[in-house]
Amino acid sequence: MKQIEIGHGSGGRLTRDLIKNIFLKYLNSEELIPMEDAAILNLNGSTTAFTTDSYVIRPLFFPGGDIGKLSVCGTINDLVVSGAVPKYISLGLIIEEGFSLEDLEKIAKSIGEAAKEAGIHIVTGDTKVVEKNKCDGIYINTSGVGEVVKALPLSNVSDGDSVIITGTVGDHGTSIAIAREEFDIQSRVESDCASLNGLLAPLFEIEGIKWMRDPTRGGVATVLVELSESLGLGVQVMEERVPVREDVRFISDMLGYDPLYLANEGKAIVISSAESSNRVLEILKRHPLGKNAAVIGKVSSKFKGVRLKTRIGGERLLDMLEEDMLPRIC
Amino acid sequence: MLRNMDKSKEIIKLIHSLVPSDKKIRIMNVCGSHEHTIAFSGMRSLMPENLELIPGPGCPVCVCPESDIINAIGLSNRADVILVTYGDMLRVPSKQGSIRAQGSNYKMITSPSEAISIANANPDKKIVFFSIGFETTTAPTAAILEMGVPENLFILSSHRLTPTIMEILVKDAEIGIDGFIAPGHVSAIVGSNAWNVFSEKYGIPTVVAGFEADNLMLGIAEILEQLKNGKVRTGNVYAGVVRPEGNTQAQKIMAKYFEPSDVNWRGIGHIPGSGLELRDEYSSKDARKVFELKEIKEEQIPGCICGKVILGKAYPSDCKLFKKACTPKTPTGPCMVSMEGSCNIWYKTN
Repeated sequence: MKQIEIGHGSGGRLTRDLIKNIFLKYLNSEELIPMEDAAILNLNGSTTAFTTDSYVIRPLFFPGGDIGKLSVCGTINDLVVSGAVPKYISLGLIIEEGFSLEDLEKIAKSIGEAAKEAGIHIVTGDTKVVEKNKCDGIYINTSGVGEVVKALPLSNVSDGDSVIITGTVGDHGTSIAIAREEFDIQSRVESDCASLNGLLAPLFEIEGIKWMRDPTRGGVATVLVELSESLGLGVQVMEERVPVREDVRFISDMLGYDPLYLANEGKAIVISSAESSNRVLEILKRHPLGKNAAVIGKVSSKFKGVRLKTRIGGERLLDMLEEDMLPRIC
Repeated sequence: MLRNMDKSKEIIKLIHSLVPSDKKIRIMNVCGSHEHTIAFSGMRSLMPENLELIPGPGCPVCVCPESDIINAIGLSNRADVILVTYGDMLRVPSKQGSIRAQGSNYKMITSPSEAISIANANPDKKIVFFSIGFETTTAPTAAILEMGVPENLFILSSHRLTPTIMEILVKDAEIGIDGFIAPGHVSAIVGSNAWNVFSEKYGIPTVVAGFEADNLMLGIAEILEQLKNGKVRTGNVYAGVVRPEGNTQAQKIMAKYFEPSDVNWRGIGHIPGSGLELRDEYSSKDARKVFELKEIKEEQIPGCICGKVILGKAYPSDCKLFKKACTPKTPTGPCMVSMEGSCNIWYKTN
């Protein structure tokens, strides 16, 4: 394989291979090694989380959000799941010649609103314009820094820990699939695009919180497979406990998607000790974004990989998907 | 009695109690959606050891002959043609590549009525609808013909008949089928009576089932019960949807436009009377005739055992290419392409 394929941007196995085989070969700083959503840095004695993300979603406007809101929420979420309180964000824009100023203003407005709502400041930015047909409307890059208040290294996770999801899965992926109008389906499913700092920050005070991750591209299944592979531990997921909206389930059945692999933009997987799981649920459920939170499984040292206990009590494997169900989902 | 039980555990217990301890039982499903339910519900992990649930020829994309795909690629490369077909067909490999990789003018559709809209929107082009599938997709294609299609729309029919292939399977001693789960959607069209031949002529219990795991397991339990008490007949645990006579209106229009033909099945070979072609009266709509398409000899893909998988003679995991050279992203054989293909389903669940 000599060329970049669309799957190299899926966030799944191909992306990881690319990072390992190309980037880490030349850029092997120790801060990169954990390969988490944000780097944890020591600046002048204080611990800082630093992250960056580019947004290439199609379409730019979708039910529940747009590329502007997404570019703020996504970066905030990468910081907060790293145990940080997000503080400052940068904004880089690559715009295609001929792009509507009206649309640009709409996007800027949602960036401003999302930043205000999340209580962060946009402190620096950059604008570039490329010739017509050299990019698809607009691409956005945001980087963010936050103050780490709770270290959450993956090595915290151990046998018996509970796997918690903060709400229904697959909403974002479903809403984008529908918004692309490739299917003749009417639906009310909105993207769950939201900043999670308000929901997750209160968890930092709980002793038993071990690790968090926002299951975006590749969904819940991909995050858990990565977790399992990195730790050499097994994860069992109980299908009937995974919250899925009725309409999301119906649409994914019809389109052949599995909600466990569909992208989310306003959900987090939280791993806590079994003893703390009730307390975690209690705190999550107090927040509007966490009312459907549920314990969906547990970490186990008795097997490897991710096993799904199905509704009828059967078992099947959840693996990382090589094919990208929906490219350019974020 | 069976039909009122909806608790998975009770049905599983019943299945265990009905399976003889001294003998292997092989039950085949002939519908990709059934195999999907079985695999994604982890049903095999709950079955008694000596009960095998075998995926059969249930994926229409998988059995579509290579010759038709190559002809479709050729058509889509004509400047005067737009080829329209179902999404999966664009990705099926052939020795000349896939339609998506090697074709030029093609569009994905999700229903035959979209072919009409495309034809109306492109009056200066010839629209060829590459129409594939079992009875379930034949009926809607017949329906657009019955409603009347634009002059510039032609049909490349690669439809297949489910009962005919099932009869071939029964006669193949190597497969050894003790019971059939009859396909729910196909049965809704052809009716449960279409399966009577299997109980009456071959003594094989055949039960129509739906697509929920519990309903499918009820179907399995009924097959086992029939085998146990020796009273073999056509069963139907999907009676809310499937009637004994089926959808007679659909059958009528299918018979009006199509007639059985001798066709190839990919990886299986030539089976007389197992396909459907447009009747002579409608040959002006038949892309094979209008564009004078020739049959192209199929070549075995080296190492690929899709033919055996389709016939229930091997499991996807028996293939040396499975999860190695052959993945959903880089399918070597047709069964890895469609989400109804056994290899694709097994890739995601095993």
